[in-house]
Amino acid sequence: MPAGLNGLLPALVLIVLFFVVPVLALLLRSVTEPEPGLQNYAALLGDGTYARVFFNTFLVASVVTIVTVLVAFPVAWMLAIMPSALASIVFGVIILSMWTNLLTRTYAWMVLLQRTGVINRTLMAAGIIDQPLPLINNLTGVTIGMVYIMLPFMILPLVGTLRAIDPMTLRAAALCGASPFQAFRRILLPLSLPGVAAGGLMVFVMSLGYFVTPALLGGTSNMMLAEMIAQMIQSLLNWGLGSAAAFILLVVTMALYALQLRLVGARRISGGA
Amino acid sequence: MTQPFLSIRNLRKAFGAITAVHDVTLDIPKGEFLTFLGPSGSGKSTTLYAIAGFQDPSSGDVELEGRSLLAVPSHRRNIGMVFQRYTLFPHLTVAENVAFPLRVRRRPEAEVKKKVADMLALVRLESFAQRLPGALSGGQQQRVALARALAYDPPILLMDEPLSALDKKLREEIQGEIRRIHRETGVTILYVTHDQEEALHLSDRIALFRDGRIEQTGSGEDLYLRPATDFVAGFIGNSNFLAAEHLDTKDGTATIRLADGSVVSGVRANGTFGKGQKTRLMIRPEAFGMVRRPASAELNVEIVDVAFYGERRRIVARTAGGEGVDIRPTSAAMQLQDLTPCSRQVFFDPTAAFLFPA
Repeated sequence: MPAGLNGLLPALVLIVLFFVVPVLALLLRSVTEPEPGLQNYAALLGDGTYARVFFNTFLVASVVTIVTVLVAFPVAWMLAIMPSALASIVFGVIILSMWTNLLTRTYAWMVLLQRTGVINRTLMAAGIIDQPLPLINNLTGVTIGMVYIMLPFMILPLVGTLRAIDPMTLRAAALCGASPFQAFRRILLPLSLPGVAAGGLMVFVMSLGYFVTPALLGGTSNMMLAEMIAQMIQSLLNWGLGSAAAFILLVVTMALYALQLRLVGARRISGGA
Repeated sequence: MTQPFLSIRNLRKAFGAITAVHDVTLDIPKGEFLTFLGPSGSGKSTTLYAIAGFQDPSSGDVELEGRSLLAVPSHRRNIGMVFQRYTLFPHLTVAENVAFPLRVRRRPEAEVKKKVADMLALVRLESFAQRLPGALSGGQQQRVALARALAYDPPILLMDEPLSALDKKLREEIQGEIRRIHRETGVTILYVTHDQEEALHLSDRIALFRDGRIEQTGSGEDLYLRPATDFVAGFIGNSNFLAAEHLDTKDGTATIRLADGSVVSGVRANGTFGKGQKTRLMIRPEAFGMVRRPASAELNVEIVDVAFYGERRRIVARTAGGEGVDIRPTSAAMQLQDLTPCSRQVFFDPTAAFLFPA
């Protein structure tokens, strides 16, 4: 071993012990239980019920990512152009929400979104709706709850990217004749794409494996992968099938990460030069 | 002159309690190269930003060919601008940057192609069309910015200290380019700088700003040879100011007494002065000579130091009263024996000396 790598040894041991070994154990279980072979994978990929769960997982993750980007962009832009004293207060609020217990925040949404919850009661009292809106135990509830939790992970990288854009560049675009929309579409959006991609991937990957919020705010008809894995292992004690599902999730996540590295790496983002 | 091309009327801009521009009124004829010159914080950039539409003036008006621009948003003013900082779009190539203003105007592709080629030829960067801005030097980036600002044939080109980030040699080179482009395109240029040499070199006319007001407007020669105020005299070129007592003025030429008691007549009076009023006499360093000429006046000085600056020498001298005097005769006009520290007389043409209030 080259002398320079000696210092890295403890870190390397740590990574192998706590990351590589468990993943390999997972892989091993998925092809050995209940008997050696690929039958777990065949079952997962061949069965319509499991396919629905996979599809639903990607659907929820995609919807959550898109909505998060749409909500986060204006907030990030506001933070980027705000006077820094005010921006740090808003940042504080955002970070504080990240530190608040996840379950607490999800239960709070249950209180707000249920049939007799604050939102429905207010809307009905105001005469806007006659029947309570179905805001919980469905895709809407999962999306609202998860977007809320994912927002900081989108806002933070996006603010960094937006702050690096010289506001003078946008003034130049305006004088060149670009309407505010054209300046956004042709200048601001392309320049902020690395931040959108970084935040978007983070949110998407986190959403793929999310458990608590879909379990509490989602319905039985749109179960996500993490819930299914929990069920397989906790209720059915089928470690082989659960491991295979977890491993598929891992492979998909890694493939997405590789894809993003290629896309963002190849893009022309020499803005800092 | 009938109707001015661009007209700035009683422009005033306040930021809270601070007034950046007090009252600026200026008419600019079509095709002129006008420079806003002044120290930082004198209101020159604020005035330019009001024309660009980045800042709404507190009062006053900006009119282009008789129509007010104030209600027109920036992107519909059809004004070109080159900024102090590099503002090329970093994700677009040089050619795409120049094409940008044409694309947002939805011009036909053939026209865009031709115009981009013409503009890159104008700034002599044809071979850089496919590069990204990050791969260009600062000077090249500003030339692309110039091409982008001129691509849509704007009637007015605003330039906000575009060369301040470049080194001296490059600056001079691009100044030459800007003069050539002004000649070739005939575009009206409003140029902001704090560099007096740049202003003198480039402009048809200079508006000298001070504390949010225009101190004097005129050609570079006007400002240099006929400064209206001591601020103009002090800002343009180098100046010596000597305390003087005003004795008498006749036909615009004054007689004064310097601190050492010598009387000088025939200096130009800027303003009217009472007898015995304290004044200041301004003399350019290069107006001093080492030999007496028929009409020259004299000044007794002690020479402290002499340095050689190529075409000129720089002499640091002091009057008996301790006032510093900067003297810059041409090197050829001096003999070696003049250079040793000593007390002696130096001479100046009184008609090149100006009297200002103290």
